[in-house]
Amino acid sequence: MVQVATTERERAEAPGEVVFDLQELSCFYGSFRAVREISIQIRRNEITALIGPSGCGKSTLLRSFNRMNDLIDSARVTGRILYHGVDLYGPAIDPVEVRRRIGMVFQKPNPFPKSIYDNVAFGPKVAGFRGNRSELDDLVEASLRRAALWDEVKDKLDQMATALSGGQQQRLCIARAIAVEPEVILMDEPCSALDPVATLKIEELMRELTENYTIVIVTHNMQQAARASDVTAFLTMGDDRAGYLVEMNATEEIFTRPANRLTEDYITGRFG
Amino acid sequence: MDGPADEREAERLTPRATFDRALDRVKDDVLRLGALVEESLERSGRALLERDADLADRVRWEDAAVNDLQREINTEITALIATQAPVARDVRELLALYHASAELERMGDYAVNIAKLAQQLAAEPETPIFPQIPQMERICREQLHAAMRALVDISEDGARAVCQRDDEIDHLYNSVYEDAMAMMGAAPERVRQATHMLFAAHHLERLGDRVTNIGEDVVYLATGQVEDLNP
Repeated sequence: MVQVATTERERAEAPGEVVFDLQELSCFYGSFRAVREISIQIRRNEITALIGPSGCGKSTLLRSFNRMNDLIDSARVTGRILYHGVDLYGPAIDPVEVRRRIGMVFQKPNPFPKSIYDNVAFGPKVAGFRGNRSELDDLVEASLRRAALWDEVKDKLDQMATALSGGQQQRLCIARAIAVEPEVILMDEPCSALDPVATLKIEELMRELTENYTIVIVTHNMQQAARASDVTAFLTMGDDRAGYLVEMNATEEIFTRPANRLTEDYITGRFG
Repeated sequence: MDGPADEREAERLTPRATFDRALDRVKDDVLRLGALVEESLERSGRALLERDADLADRVRWEDAAVNDLQREINTEITALIATQAPVARDVRELLALYHASAELERMGDYAVNIAKLAQQLAAEPETPIFPQIPQMERICREQLHAAMRALVDISEDGARAVCQRDDEIDHLYNSVYEDAMAMMGAAPERVRQATHMLFAAHHLERLGDRVTNIGEDVVYLATGQVEDLNP
């Protein structure tokens, strides 16, 4: 696969670089077109929020970023997603490697029914981690620290992950995602099952994570998009029920002076 | 039952009906504040022209109502921002209304200042009021009225028209300045009256600038762009 800058220094020196370049991307389930001809760019070290009404295809779009839709038989895409200039759906691309580089955090925290430690160590082990136990310990600690969970769990790493609170579980899932050293983290409504305090913690964590990662988040919570993202893309549905992009811009612009009336109506709650 | 009843129901259940009603209340209050200030301005101008110290007194007393209403509007807007998390045009509108009500409160103070000058002039030997002053006062009121209309209608064109007329006020003010200087030179015994009138004109000129500020708010509200319309 393509070579990407992976050290923090290299990343810091290349802010704003295009990570994903979508070219008229459409997503289908069988004959139904769920997403219509989206052309956008996702930039490095930014948080991009995808917002829009239910059924507008934003989760489908998000899942196309790491070929998660491949797991559904009837799903296919047309158009292209270039990841650092390489066609993500090209014949030589290994979807498993795609998902290592482009991790995902889901709506409901879904830790494995294993210890906290094993949840984080699982991914690197599967990916063929070649270090010794102490190096694995270091990786687990570093991942938990980056996910702002270390201080809360460092004395109970052997305990079942499922005993943690919802917010802690979600941060564990983030630690698990970053343990395999991805470049991008996709988040599909990561806070919808969390209380407001846990939600704000995740949002703060996202901000810290942008130092090293690029984040794309789908959220129903418009205030979350406003608070936590750098760029917002608004999608809605056409008459054929296919989702399409209405407007994408700096989050500050979208939430103070959106260019499109449809965006304005949606974010001010006057759609429909 | 089909038809109008269903439509009424659907209308009642628009997603932001509560917010829209509250916003309408704030707008009504800001309009009411504008009307109070317009009235104060008219009375202070009349008190000046007619040497009516009692009318001037009334303007001074009734300024408390302007201040109270402005505080009430501030409270309403703060609560709406805190509870309804408005964005885009909604937040711009609330901020424009907030700023407009602050400007109106200040205009009320200018009207009070003019009322005080009217009382001082009434205590001096009678001198004809420079005719530019009632002209300025009338234009200011028309401008204020037009600015409030533009604010409520979110009319960018209306707001720009308001700002353009500010030049007339500035021109009249300069003319009062020249006349006051000439009067002071020609009739030293009337220096006090000339000074009072110059100050009255100055307050009206400042008031005109604040009307222009409301015009700028309306342009921001309508377009999202900040512009200086009184350079």
